Amino acid sequence: MNTLLITATEESTGKTAIALALASIANERGQSVGYMKPKGTRLQSSVGKTLDEDPMLARELLDLDAEMHELEPVVYSPTFIDGAIRGQENPADLRERIRSQFDELAADRDLMIVEGGGSLSTGGIVDITDVDVAELLDAEVVLVSDYAQPGDIDGLLAAVDDIGENLAGVIFNRISDTAFEELDSDVIPFLESRGIEVFGAIPQNKELAGVTVAELATELGADTLTDVDSEAIVERFLVGAMGGDEALRYFRRARNAAVITGGDRSDIHTAALEASGVKCLILTGGHRPSPAILGRAAEAKTPVLAINTDTLTAVERAESVVRSGRTRDRRTVEKMSELLGERVDVDALVGEADE
Amino acid sequence: MGTLTELFAPERIAVVGATAREGSIGRAVTSNLVSEYDGTVVPVNPNYDEVLDLPCVDEIGEADADMAVIVVPPKIVIPALEQTGEAGVTNVVVITAGFGETGSDGASREQELKEIAAEYDLNLVGPNSLGIMSTANGMNASFGPESPEPGSMSFMSQSGAFITAVLDWANDEDVGFKDVASLGNKAVLDETDFVDHWGQDPDTDVIIGYLEGISEGRAFIDTAREVTQDTPIVLVKSGRTDAGAQAASSHTGTIAGSEQAYEAGLDQAGVLRAESVQDLFDAAQMLANQPVPENNDIAVITNAGGPGVMSTDAIGDSDLEMATFEQETLDEFSEQLPPEGNIYNPVDIVGDADVERFRDALDIALGDDNVGSAMVLSCPTAVLDYEQLAEETVKLREKHGKPVAACFMGGESVDASAHILSDAGIPNYFDPSRAIGALDSLWEYRQIQRRGYDEPADFDVDREAAREILERVEDRPDNRLGVEAMGLLEAYGIPMPDSEIVDAPAEAREVAERIEGDVVMKIVSPDILHKSDIGGVKVGVADEEVEDAFEDLVTRARNYQPDADLLGVQVQEMSDLDSGTETIVGMNRDPQFGPLMMFGLGGIFVEVLEDTTFRVAPLSETEAREMTEEIKTAPLLRGARGRDPADVDGIVETIQRLSQLVTDFPAIMEFDINPLVATPDGVDAVDIRLTVDPDEL
Repeated sequence: MNTLLITATEESTGKTAIALALASIANERGQSVGYMKPKGTRLQSSVGKTLDEDPMLARELLDLDAEMHELEPVVYSPTFIDGAIRGQENPADLRERIRSQFDELAADRDLMIVEGGGSLSTGGIVDITDVDVAELLDAEVVLVSDYAQPGDIDGLLAAVDDIGENLAGVIFNRISDTAFEELDSDVIPFLESRGIEVFGAIPQNKELAGVTVAELATELGADTLTDVDSEAIVERFLVGAMGGDEALRYFRRARNAAVITGGDRSDIHTAALEASGVKCLILTGGHRPSPAILGRAAEAKTPVLAINTDTLTAVERAESVVRSGRTRDRRTVEKMSELLGERVDVDALVGEADE
Repeated sequence: MGTLTELFAPERIAVVGATAREGSIGRAVTSNLVSEYDGTVVPVNPNYDEVLDLPCVDEIGEADADMAVIVVPPKIVIPALEQTGEAGVTNVVVITAGFGETGSDGASREQELKEIAAEYDLNLVGPNSLGIMSTANGMNASFGPESPEPGSMSFMSQSGAFITAVLDWANDEDVGFKDVASLGNKAVLDETDFVDHWGQDPDTDVIIGYLEGISEGRAFIDTAREVTQDTPIVLVKSGRTDAGAQAASSHTGTIAGSEQAYEAGLDQAGVLRAESVQDLFDAAQMLANQPVPENNDIAVITNAGGPGVMSTDAIGDSDLEMATFEQETLDEFSEQLPPEGNIYNPVDIVGDADVERFRDALDIALGDDNVGSAMVLSCPTAVLDYEQLAEETVKLREKHGKPVAACFMGGESVDASAHILSDAGIPNYFDPSRAIGALDSLWEYRQIQRRGYDEPADFDVDREAAREILERVEDRPDNRLGVEAMGLLEAYGIPMPDSEIVDAPAEAREVAERIEGDVVMKIVSPDILHKSDIGGVKVGVADEEVEDAFEDLVTRARNYQPDADLLGVQVQEMSDLDSGTETIVGMNRDPQFGPLMMFGLGGIFVEVLEDTTFRVAPLSETEAREMTEEIKTAPLLRGARGRDPADVDGIVETIQRLSQLVTDFPAIMEFDINPLVATPDGVDAVDIRLTVDPDEL
């Protein structure tokens, strides 16, 4: 059996999408694939049972029977961390829990995909960083990294050193068009000359970059005031606080944007509905707009969401939704599988197709 | 769609949804129609045999009507409208509310309504309309409480409530109308259709309106230009201020559009714009009843020195001027007036003036060829009979065929004479400034009639090359382009300095050596909006410094914005800023009027003093030239303080060529040439920035 641990230099570089896409590809190639996320880091509810959304999606996509607590033996929550600092957690016990759970999940599998939690250093308090876990489970490590400029490679090399012998290689993800050429022609040959394997580089992709309006509404707990299609992708947020004329110019410059403004600013609403790059209008302060605005939104087929917070809080929350790069659904994983197939040496990672 | 003659002059009107229920709209409309209408009213309602003593039919198909007024509940408007179309009735007023103005459901209902209207080619007013009225046949197809008195003004309004208020007031003031239309949501017929129709209606002398938005700005301009040759249009457009724009957006759900666009668009359309409801009716009544003056020189005849001075100030604030009398006129005044009077304008005929003296002075003044219009300004005295003065004023207005305004000051003592004047179409005002304002509108209209509209020039341009450059926006994460799109200027024949975008220091050096003299170097990145703020522009770079400058520019850009898309460095010929003037030529696409061109002088003139001027494109040469002439700083272009004049013809041509570019490509949302450097020898577009909507390409 082969075990791949997917880790990353920083949080939110696309571990989940890559891990699940690799698992799906292997699955399609007839392998029996298991999944585990030893440290649950993407915690959803603060009340009751805290759960990481990634294993939930893995269960659904890979059709796994295991229970959530089996897929995610350690919930790395703030409470857990507080306890660990006070000495309430025994690292050896935790490692044992992870090890035995892994053995159970790995039984009869051809391939185990282990998803890292947070960044490379997460878990150091109780000796369960991704590097520790890779050693514990004897996993080959795939390091996911982003890249903007040559200086970023210092950090990557430090991570490579940290991982040591278990490193299988690097996948670059979400590379902008500007940086791609440089990465491809200069950086990758440089890394290879250092003996570091690079499996491939995935360019920034619009479908993976944003969230749909529907997802955004769920994440923000917003009321949807319109009855129009909410599958459009939102990548960025614009705050409307200027006069109507100026707002229109500003909105027209952007693409795949959501405009956040107060429910009473009808001049901003109509300007936003006029700009084709605005895919969604988010109204703050719990005010409903005038009915004529909702009529116009329906005509423009632009969804209008209402939330009860103030504009500043709304912007922070909305941006964190986009930034945390949710891999919340099948669509994201399917798109990532497609990109991996095109851009990454998948055979080297999960074996040949006709195996 | 043809004219709306049948809409205002139907012979048989079906009221779909007529009821006898007290307090219902269906009853109000039926009862208004029954009151004075010359034609036949047919109630349509399957639940009644008769409504207000009129036999009621079950379906509109049985009504044999040539117009339908629909007052059924919103949910059944759509089937009712379909039956109306089926029955071949093409003139329809939908009074029912509950469409786009009420939210999502209403908006989709309005969409259905538009589709049916298009299918049956309906002349449809509304929905959410108060209704329409015509005094020619006594038709009041509305649920308003008042019917208008006959007159020669036709009135449209985007607010139904405003119509009811105006009619109530107008009936008190003896102000009459030909037709009245409440536009409602303007789903099908909008202001342009009514302007077009009333422009052809021989019984409409003036078109007036209250609007919160204009649906198709360019079509409105083109239609109004023709109409205003014969029929003046006066509009109150609300939403002038930011607060007003916000209220208008909330009321109609449409973007208010910029005030500059309205100002420019309505002016180009030849429409007189009233600032208030009072101005609207002052101007409209004057235009409806008085001849237009041949010139802007006004004579003031008064028996009161103080008010005479007040009126002179009001004239100074207007486009009118105090007339200078001919010698013959002055001689006659000297003969007729007492020695203590003033024979110069304002003509003071002194406090003891009686009606005869007033009559003689006015007669002499109106007889002077220099005088285009006159104002009779009087205060009550024991020797002056206001009623007689009114009668004489009316006679002299008729005799000379020149416009006359009356300012008989006073209270109750004026009432009877004011009626005499108003019956003859001469409004009387207490305040001289209102009288002057009304006369000023007549003069403004006279100038509109004299305007010629020439066609925009059609330059030989390379549209395909321009399209290819604009399509590059599709590869961008946002909708902006900058100097990397300078090829657009070349394609449209707008001069620019010799320049090239390079991506290596050695190439930069090569280009710099090819260009004579020092060069300007600029970082090229659509992501960096303010290049000079980050040190992304270097001016006066000598050939041997070019390579270092290249490295420095790239480093600065990287440090400032690591993720910025760097397309290279532009190496550009230096413009002669010492002998040149920096100007800005720009365009911002207005949601209602389309491409709104802007011109101004660069730097503080635009940013601080906002000394700019606007026109809706496409522009003729005359319009482009007017832009260069009407900014306050225009003398600087003409060579103030010993400088050589700038190449104004070059600026005018650049404005026209940009106008053609933005008219050819509706995808261009915003375009700034900043600066366009104008020297005595020509113009150069040094930098550009634009926003392109890829969905419109």
